[in-house]
Amino acid sequence: MSAKPRVEGSVVAGFPSPAEQYQEPPLDLNELLVRRPAATFFVRVQGDSMTGEGIRDGDLLVVDRSLRPADGDVVIASVDGDFTVKTYRRDGSGVRLEPANPAYPVIRLRHGQELDYFGKVTACIHRFAGK
Amino acid sequence: MTGLVDGNNFFVSCERVFDRSLVGRPVAVLSNNDGCCVSRSDEFKALGIPMGTPYFQLRDREASGELVFRSSNYELYGDMSRRIVSLLREEALDVEQYSIDEAFIRPPEGAGIDLAEYGRRLRAKILRWVGVPCGVGFAPTKTLAKIANHAAKKRPDGVFLMPRDPTEMLSALPVDEVWGVGSRLSPKLRAERIFTAADLRDAPAGVVRSVGGATLLRTARELGGAPCCEDRDYDADPDSVSCSRSFGEPVTAIEGLGESIASFTAQAAAKLRRHGMLASGCNVYAQEFASGGGGDFLEVTVVFPSPTDATNEMMQSIRPEIGSLFVPGLRYRKTGVVFFGLEKAGAARQMDLFSPAESPSASPLYRAIDALNAKYGGGKVFSAGEGVGDQPWRMKRSRLSRRATTRWGELVTAR
Repeated sequence: MSAKPRVEGSVVAGFPSPAEQYQEPPLDLNELLVRRPAATFFVRVQGDSMTGEGIRDGDLLVVDRSLRPADGDVVIASVDGDFTVKTYRRDGSGVRLEPANPAYPVIRLRHGQELDYFGKVTACIHRFAGK
Repeated sequence: MTGLVDGNNFFVSCERVFDRSLVGRPVAVLSNNDGCCVSRSDEFKALGIPMGTPYFQLRDREASGELVFRSSNYELYGDMSRRIVSLLREEALDVEQYSIDEAFIRPPEGAGIDLAEYGRRLRAKILRWVGVPCGVGFAPTKTLAKIANHAAKKRPDGVFLMPRDPTEMLSALPVDEVWGVGSRLSPKLRAERIFTAADLRDAPAGVVRSVGGATLLRTARELGGAPCCEDRDYDADPDSVSCSRSFGEPVTAIEGLGESIASFTAQAAAKLRRHGMLASGCNVYAQEFASGGGGDFLEVTVVFPSPTDATNEMMQSIRPEIGSLFVPGLRYRKTGVVFFGLEKAGAARQMDLFSPAESPSASPLYRAIDALNAKYGGGKVFSAGEGVGDQPWRMKRSRLSRRATTRWGELVTAR
């Protein structure tokens, strides 16, 4: 390897930049999307059962396990050993998982059956084709 | 007061967070190269299959669908361990990571603190946030906390507070099950009529010293409730190989951070070699200096291409990760290295028959290759066996689950 001359650092004389006192760290998507790193997991969407909520095949979901599900939340839960993304519904008739696509059935929990809840979906990241 | 938080069947529990079909089934995680069982679910234990059973003896029972196996997914376990430690840091006054699935904590102090309640809350939080069930044991010393933790795991709420007078428990505990005693000392202890933990605690100091030296004497005192296990004083215990140290002066430069990590890696690797062990990977952490405790805590999981005891091989894997622990402007007070996936060096060599196991730098060929790479740029000359492209896995892991928390390409999917 040939040694190229390098300039390390520079010395500038004159007034300090007036912008200096306004310097801030750049915006960070992690700060926006991942409130609790220890409880946050990413899950990939497969299929079109939630397109009505804007969740499409291949999208990336940000999931927070620390949040308890409330009626109307989009959640990840396990049904018969497989993960599913659905809208959590809880009312007098019990707990059910609703798709956001009429082509899919509503999943109703049997009486006494406990929901195998994974976490609450807090964001959906959709990348456009040609990424 | 010391607490020990320990993940139940940790590797299996991590697998179950991301594969719910494993819940309720007899599952075991296999050691490197799918050699033998290193972590077993309760259902697996109930079948009477001991720890360390070679996989080939169980292959038929896997084929029949009775048993389920997974290869060691150290990337996943390391990340889950990191998450638990970060939670503990928020909830405890101090945390000392002892192995990938165990950490000592200093619980909050003060009159109104109900330790059992605190333990239950801690356990519930880890279970909900991370998904791993833990046992939490409290006692005045680390040695007693180990025993309390063992009892905690047998309780439905997973928490146990060592009673003020633990004599009853210690009388029921065989002495070689005490942390750091080991079966090697049993014949000598038996000769001195020391059979239980209580016997060891109550034996005259001179006798204890003559059997097991200063180390055993410290253990005996700890059983009596006098803390004397300093940080990092775990040389007698080959289950955990770690090295950490607080700096005399806060470190602010990445060079200093890197040097300290290299030095602790070298020390821990030397310990591995003393025990004839290889490590599969390690968690490396760095902690910020903050007066009054706390401070930022950064940690990264590194998995070695194949299990090793060679400092230089470890550093090849660790060095590229040091940047991720460094935040400009942060004043660091401590770094540390915790090895995991430990195995006996001899056993691994046998299983490693078909992979390039020898330390590269030891052979003249590799010295020549290194020289060429140094001259023409790294990676220009490599063995075809290393593969082209992203193929870092020389270890055989045929039942590897998704590295769902460290690889974008291996996320779990939801329909």
